[in-house]
Amino acid sequence: MAAQGGAAPSTYTPTPTKKTQRSPFFSDSDVDWLRPDGRGFHQCRAAFFRTGAVNSAAGSAYAEFGNTKVIVSVFGPRESKKAMVYSDVGRLNCNVSYTTFANPARGLGSDNKEFSSMLHKALEGAIMLETFPKTTVDVFALVLESGGSDLPVVISCASLALADAGIMMYDLVAGVSVSCLGRNLIIDPILEEESFQDGSMMITCMPSRYEVTQLTITGEWSTAKLNEAMQLCLDACSKLDKIMRACLEEAASASQD
Amino acid sequence: MVGLSLGEKHFIQGGIDQNLRSDGRKRDTYRPISVETGVIPQANGSARIRIGATEVIASVKAELGRPNALQPDKGKVSIFVDCSPVAEPMFEGRGGEELSTELSVALQRCLLGGKSGAGAGIDLSSLIVAEGKICWDLYIDGLVISSDGNLLDALGAAIKAALSNTGIPRVQVAAGASGDEQPEVDISDEEFMQFDTSGIPVIVTLTKVGRHYIVDATSEEESQMSSAVSVSINRKGHICGLSKRGSAGLDPSVISDMISVARHISEQLINKLDSEISAAEADEDEM
Amino acid sequence: MGLPDASGDLSSEMEVDAFRRLFPLRYFERHLSESIRPDARPLGRARDTTLALGAVASAHGSALAKIGSTTMLAAIKMEVMTPSTESPDEGSIAIDFHMPPICSPIVRPGRPAEAAPVISKQLSDTISSSGMINLKELSLVSGKAAWMAYLDIYCLDADGALFDAALLSAVAAFSHLQIPIVSLNDDGKIELISEEDDGAKLEVEPVNKEKRKLTLSGIPFSLTCILHKNYILADPTAEEESIMETAVTVVLDSSSRLVSFYKPGGPVLAHTSAVQDCVALTRQRVKELQNILDETLSGMEID
Repeated sequence: MAAQGGAAPSTYTPTPTKKTQRSPFFSDSDVDWLRPDGRGFHQCRAAFFRTGAVNSAAGSAYAEFGNTKVIVSVFGPRESKKAMVYSDVGRLNCNVSYTTFANPARGLGSDNKEFSSMLHKALEGAIMLETFPKTTVDVFALVLESGGSDLPVVISCASLALADAGIMMYDLVAGVSVSCLGRNLIIDPILEEESFQDGSMMITCMPSRYEVTQLTITGEWSTAKLNEAMQLCLDACSKLDKIMRACLEEAASASQD
Repeated sequence: MVGLSLGEKHFIQGGIDQNLRSDGRKRDTYRPISVETGVIPQANGSARIRIGATEVIASVKAELGRPNALQPDKGKVSIFVDCSPVAEPMFEGRGGEELSTELSVALQRCLLGGKSGAGAGIDLSSLIVAEGKICWDLYIDGLVISSDGNLLDALGAAIKAALSNTGIPRVQVAAGASGDEQPEVDISDEEFMQFDTSGIPVIVTLTKVGRHYIVDATSEEESQMSSAVSVSINRKGHICGLSKRGSAGLDPSVISDMISVARHISEQLINKLDSEISAAEADEDEM
Repeated sequence: MGLPDASGDLSSEMEVDAFRRLFPLRYFERHLSESIRPDARPLGRARDTTLALGAVASAHGSALAKIGSTTMLAAIKMEVMTPSTESPDEGSIAIDFHMPPICSPIVRPGRPAEAAPVISKQLSDTISSSGMINLKELSLVSGKAAWMAYLDIYCLDADGALFDAALLSAVAAFSHLQIPIVSLNDDGKIELISEEDDGAKLEVEPVNKEKRKLTLSGIPFSLTCILHKNYILADPTAEEESIMETAVTVVLDSSSRLVSFYKPGGPVLAHTSAVQDCVALTRQRVKELQNILDETLSGMEID
């Protein structure tokens, strides 16, 4: 038993006998290849949302996009940390962490600082911070399983959890990412596609207000491709928004019964 | 933190509205840029950039390492920024840490390209010594010495200058090592190779204050911003990375507009920087 | 919590709610004297319990357990290790219990919950001492390679009786565990054999063809009870745990043998009779839990 003390024995994950290689269709951009899960290039995975996943939180939501599964809990508004100075607008505190089994290889289950700050930036513009002065709203996300496009899923799920907690917002925030593979743009990439991508774009926006709260781009993009990708993301965001709203409406009508 | 009175805020915003900023600049003019290279003798390359009162240093250190198993034909580059508490009392402790991480992430996004290495400013395959076995690892460190706004653009420029200043020793790989063995290397003390820095993008940050956006904002102006978009653009006019700061949402058409303005400004900035860098290199050679 | 507009039409309930918050102990005692609990349960009844297997696709075995709203997600990942010299033909198990910030308002990022390491240790002790898993079954090549089973349990929603739910999810994950087929290569490393080409052209001999499932014997189940005055409350919620502090956890195996017994202090000193009552309640509960586990497993086989 590991509990018997002493130095933990070093372990490794057995690798397949046949080495997996970069699938040929990713390297040759001219070929019309199929995506590993059979989707079209501009087709998103089926999105599933449910609010009220965690009872002990003020609000929460669970989201599942293919193998990407996340839970977001919202606590507060509650007292800010003692060390904080007075602030006449509320504070938003975000944290994103991964489970040890989120990735195919067992990880350490650590916090993701970069995602935490990206989540903060994506949400802060949508929340009416002035409605809860002096206090803090905590948004904590746990990625149960990582299946690609983790951050946009976390962001969409977090905005639903905020709505579930009754935090005042201007609009929901929907997040979508696009990967650039060779000459093709593919939306809502899975983990495998993300690891081969040449560039990526993530947009989070408030669909009803048609405002972008966060935009990040990596890789080299020409203007035409950039505009195409932006339009693709924005269209997908407004579709996602409909699904998110339907989820909230369903939860509201269920609680009335 | 910048503490401004209501009158000062109005003055800044009014100036920007009328295209005459507090220091006499127009909305799309940079402050004077000065470049000095080779400021840290121990590093493989280094540069100091001053934009107005903002001052940053970038240094490049090269070490031999092993390439990543997934990308055996590429070297590795890491970028890390440190915000010295000397520059701003706010940088002490957590405030500086957060800003450091934010700047590091933004620079990595703007300069290192996508996961496959496409669009990277530095050609990662030029860092390879023996495929799958030995490569150069570049450690790029940025240091903020004095802060008066527009840190990201300054750091981007400093890194570009430091990389043009970088010489990497030529390496001879001993033949004969085969299979899984790690080959022996001979590092030359005299021959150095230079990087091709023409592909390295510049970063242009447009800061939105009121209805207008400005380049090269001072920290006073930054305190009035609603949001800012940093675009990294290479000589070909292609976008190599983008990140957004500030809480306010932006209309997609405004973003497209900002990107095309940034592209226009980047042309001038690249030319300006290139001439400054070569002047600085010449200065250094004379000494 | 408590938006102003949400309480508008609940004026009649406000007083009860205020009473509950201001005098929680009296509120509970009023209920207990009527032999009922605020959530309408009799004192000795546990909350509704559900199990789902295979919730995590990236793990070799996983289970989601819910007792009331307390939710636990357990997942097992198998890795290969070199066994120790004392026990060359035994594998090993490492159990970790996590309370991420999402599960409870008490947990904050960077400040781990105090309860987590305690429950981790209790789980390891219980599972190893119950003898549920024969570590010899985890051996691959004697003295050279054996399985290390990493069991990670995440609390997704903390509402009392955490240990009970964690243990249930752990045993369910072990019964769902499907061990991958592997072979030994020339370098002495263990490699995976992909499922598709099995049988057809196996160049390499699998080392564990027969050992894909663990035989679990004497599965432990537990029940936590709160002792308050003369009352015994089975399966407490978080609110009950915070108000009445004496908890007793009894772990019995499927043949009703006592595996372990925890009573970590608390102001109530238990009489022998109270302990016996707890054990009797646990015995009943073990039957329920065994049924739930069996039903879930047989449901899996039909699929």
